[in-house]
Amino acid sequence: MNEERACSKCLMDSSVPRIHFDKDGVCSYCHFHNALDAEYQLGPETDARLERIYDRARAQGRNKSFDCIVGVSGGRDSTFLLWHLKKVAGLRCLPVFFNDGFGNPVAGENMKKATRALGLPMRTISADWRESKDLKIACLKASIPDLNLATDIGLGNALYGAAASEGVRTIFIGQSFRTEGIAPLEWNYLDGRYLKAIHDQFGSNPLRPWKSTDPGFHMSWQHILYYAAVRRIHIETPLYYINYVRSEADKLLKKEMDWVNTGAHYYDDLYQALLTRVLRVKFGIDRRKFNYSALIRSGQLSREEGRRQIMQPYIIEDDKVIDLCIKRLGISREDFETFMAAEPKTFWDYPNLLNVIRKFSPVVRVLAALQLIPLSSYMKYCRQDV
Amino acid sequence: MVKIGMGQLLVEGGEPERNFERAEAMVADARAAQCEIVLLPECFDLGWTHPSCLSEAQPIPGCYSDRLCDMGQKHGIHICAGLTEQRGDAVFNTAILVDDTGDILLKYSKINILDVAFPMYGIGDSLSVVVTKFGKVGVNICSDNYGDALDIGFVLGRMGAKLLLTPSSWTVDYSVTESENPYAKKWAEPYTMLATSFDMAVVSATAVGTILGGPYEGKKMVGCSLAVNRDGIIATGPYNEFAGELVVADVELSNTGFRGTQVGERLAARGLLAGTLSQ
Repeated sequence: MNEERACSKCLMDSSVPRIHFDKDGVCSYCHFHNALDAEYQLGPETDARLERIYDRARAQGRNKSFDCIVGVSGGRDSTFLLWHLKKVAGLRCLPVFFNDGFGNPVAGENMKKATRALGLPMRTISADWRESKDLKIACLKASIPDLNLATDIGLGNALYGAAASEGVRTIFIGQSFRTEGIAPLEWNYLDGRYLKAIHDQFGSNPLRPWKSTDPGFHMSWQHILYYAAVRRIHIETPLYYINYVRSEADKLLKKEMDWVNTGAHYYDDLYQALLTRVLRVKFGIDRRKFNYSALIRSGQLSREEGRRQIMQPYIIEDDKVIDLCIKRLGISREDFETFMAAEPKTFWDYPNLLNVIRKFSPVVRVLAALQLIPLSSYMKYCRQDV
Repeated sequence: MVKIGMGQLLVEGGEPERNFERAEAMVADARAAQCEIVLLPECFDLGWTHPSCLSEAQPIPGCYSDRLCDMGQKHGIHICAGLTEQRGDAVFNTAILVDDTGDILLKYSKINILDVAFPMYGIGDSLSVVVTKFGKVGVNICSDNYGDALDIGFVLGRMGAKLLLTPSSWTVDYSVTESENPYAKKWAEPYTMLATSFDMAVVSATAVGTILGGPYEGKKMVGCSLAVNRDGIIATGPYNEFAGELVVADVELSNTGFRGTQVGERLAARGLLAGTLSQ
């Protein structure tokens, strides 16, 4: 056991399941970061790799309306990515936003301004709010920390669905291990089988059936295989390849497109207010630990400043917005308190695909090597030590 | 020529404070853009058919209409907006026109209520127009302008309205995207019929956002507000379901003076018979 132990380099500590420390007190997440950093070492070679990805997107986009689908939310990372792909890479982008009914209006304005400034069209894929709401309540009832499981899956599916509709094979997302970090599995686990189990047990309404261009909230391994192997759609993370510095991105986005900071990472989604409260109070999870740790490792935040910030209440836990979330779900405050008081569970308490994924980890490794899925996904799901 | 701000507002169901904050910003933007009138959507306080209308509707005059009057006075602009009105034991889908000194010039409650909204809203029982510095203005609401309900707009036209302001909450299925034209001729056709019949400009501002409760839960509002005069479409709002937009329209109001039985003669000469249009 690593009782009350903190990493000597970052903010991760023994509250993280299965974390371990080397002889110098450096945590396994720092080593995880270092492995990714080596794989995506900044420099001419990585620049060339990224350029090859862009060349491939252009080639695959020939005779199509777009070269790529870009997942956007109005937050900093995805807005910067969109700017980069249009202005630096010169790609023909279709920005795609997944609307689950909890979008932050500030982020909505950002998307409007960004697409207008860049002269891009917009594609909004909306959840059926009745399904979206039902799944959110089901996750609360299931007593799991993955309260946005359905939205995360719906978002991925919206990107795949839009790509399938447009015949586009490249999806870009604004994830960055250097600024966002990698969430521990028990803090954020994503798997369609898991969502189905939660819905089967706690959902109230049937989900509409899967269609390749409108997958909704279904994500089985067959669906992933269909998009990855049959449609050859691949997901890329360009921010892994470039020196993405948040403070510089802020300046650029404000100047170029009057972008407004929503106030916190993930706060492009109002539901994050409730989610953050539940994670902190019920599960003892503070996601700032892996977020800030990533910034510390990449030299964008000092460890001291990170520690100081983490001691402060998180701005995202806005009581008014938490009340909004509860009201929007159509549940009572008493219902919510009942969910809060229920015994905490994790994905291990429900049917899921993790053991299957790990059994086929060599295949997953090959998919990552072929750049059909991000390497970080392989490392998060298949490496037993993370 | 009147500069009208079509305030295509993001409306979050059951969140009047947040909706009013955005509305005030839009009113200020409209004034900054030299608009003399700003139009806001139907039931923008609580959201159209949001269940909270049954418990949180306010009388008119009341706290919500007072806020609009304060905005009108503060920004020196006429405001036409849809509110949810508590009147006696009933709730009405109402719109008011406030002038630039903060007085309510006109109040109208929607007549052509959708049957799914019967449990929420009562049927309005009057129609009126008001003389303003821009000319005679009428107000109706959203589905009052359905093709099979044009008699409502016709009455306002017969009363001499040269500008018809129509706060709206047009809806589409959740599955609609920007790649489609969500309304095609659904609204343009009846608006054009009214505009050409009476030399009357018809201007709507519809909401933006997901419908989060009530009988239309699962649908959404995507903007595409519309302004039409006798010459055709003069302004349209963009498709958007997550961000509001102020669309400024320069609207020339007709000063043709036909009235009374001249209206019928004019309609007959044009081969137009009120009340027989299919939607």
